[in-house]
Amino acid sequence: MQALTPEESSAVQSHVDGCADCRRELAEQTGDLSVLALSVEQQPLPAGSRERFLARVAAEPRAAATPQLSVAPGPSRRRIMPVLLPWAACAAMLAVAAYLGVKNSTLEQTLNTDRAQIATLAAQAARAQSVLDTLTAPSAQRATLTAGKPVAAPTGHTTYVPERGALIFVANHLQQVPASKTYELWIIPANGSAPIPAGTFRPDANGTASVILPPLPQGVPAKAFGVTIENEGGADKPTMPIVLSGE
Amino acid sequence: MPEDSQNPISPAQRSFSSDPKAVGHFAATASEDSLLLARVHSGDQNAMAALFDRYSSVVYSVALRVLKDSAQAEDVMQEIFIRIWRNPEAFQSARGSFGSWLAVVARNRAIDSLRRRRPSDAVEDVVLVSKTNTASDAEHNVLIEKVRILMRDLPPEQKASVELAFFDGLTHSEIAEKTGEALGTVKTRIRLALVSLRKALRT
Repeated sequence: MQALTPEESSAVQSHVDGCADCRRELAEQTGDLSVLALSVEQQPLPAGSRERFLARVAAEPRAAATPQLSVAPGPSRRRIMPVLLPWAACAAMLAVAAYLGVKNSTLEQTLNTDRAQIATLAAQAARAQSVLDTLTAPSAQRATLTAGKPVAAPTGHTTYVPERGALIFVANHLQQVPASKTYELWIIPANGSAPIPAGTFRPDANGTASVILPPLPQGVPAKAFGVTIENEGGADKPTMPIVLSGE
Repeated sequence: MPEDSQNPISPAQRSFSSDPKAVGHFAATASEDSLLLARVHSGDQNAMAALFDRYSSVVYSVALRVLKDSAQAEDVMQEIFIRIWRNPEAFQSARGSFGSWLAVVARNRAIDSLRRRRPSDAVEDVVLVSKTNTASDAEHNVLIEKVRILMRDLPPEQKASVELAFFDGLTHSEIAEKTGEALGTVKTRIRLALVSLRKALRT
């Protein structure tokens, strides 16, 4: 009833705050007194009071809040949320931006690494291609230097990497063969198995020929290499005699 | 508020629910009030106008009974409703009926205005529990009539003490000083009057 002095009211309030029974009794007493308030004789509103109130309402348009009335909101909830939401959105955007920035930096580093590797590989490939072009160019001038008189005998040079099945063969001073014939290179496996055909070739006008990376099985160490003359198209097994051989 | 022969509201309509269209439908269901408050919460000015139409007379009449000044009573009424417009969550349905809650808030704010002091409590702090059943207009009318009869039949000194405390906003000490009675006597009279009020409401 606000019938207490401020000092009395403060003391009572302190007790009520910590006493559930008294809080309940006070609420019931307030409920009883609400009926006493309602029992007053009803009076008409002053003229224009409704219009004045509605004008104040219209002057304070409220932003639409959540559509439901909260049953038990904290007293400051509606004041806090509209303030926090924009900041929360900004924080979220900053977090996403930071994540994307880190991600972009990582991708850029990966791209730079890949670019460096590609450049290295491209340089190696260009050098290898240059070596091959030099070895296999029809216009290449080839000479075998010796201490004595020039040797006109056919020769062949083989480079073979068994684990990769990679082979490069270059021959010089080969005799020309009929159109129905062809030279064929053979790998003689170290394990004694049957010779493996390693490509056919015909010499150019200078007696030079080459076999570059023919299809071969991997992991076959070679005991020796040989060249035979076969019919056009090659053979499954070498035909004697062997015109060139080496270990 | 003394009887006013100039009151344009007929005596039959001066209780809060004898004519819902004329004086506000006090016994409107809680669900209707909750719906209107929810719409107010979403910024619906029409819903706020509907709540004003429903309860402004209650609030104004209580404030006028305390303040006895039309302009001041309207100020109190306007402030209470604009507070609801700004913060509809101030009322929670668990705190009783919206009409009863408004009546108590109106009385407290009017007392504060009478004493020209800052609000003694926030409207959110007004908690009441109603043990009475006022689900219908008729039941509500019966209850109001019970209270009026009780107040009329109370011993004059009890009635005076309660009215001085509840409607004039005097403290127990101020009542004792004003009436020349002992403070303990004033407290006893008020306590007895409240006991009688509770009995009347429970029977």
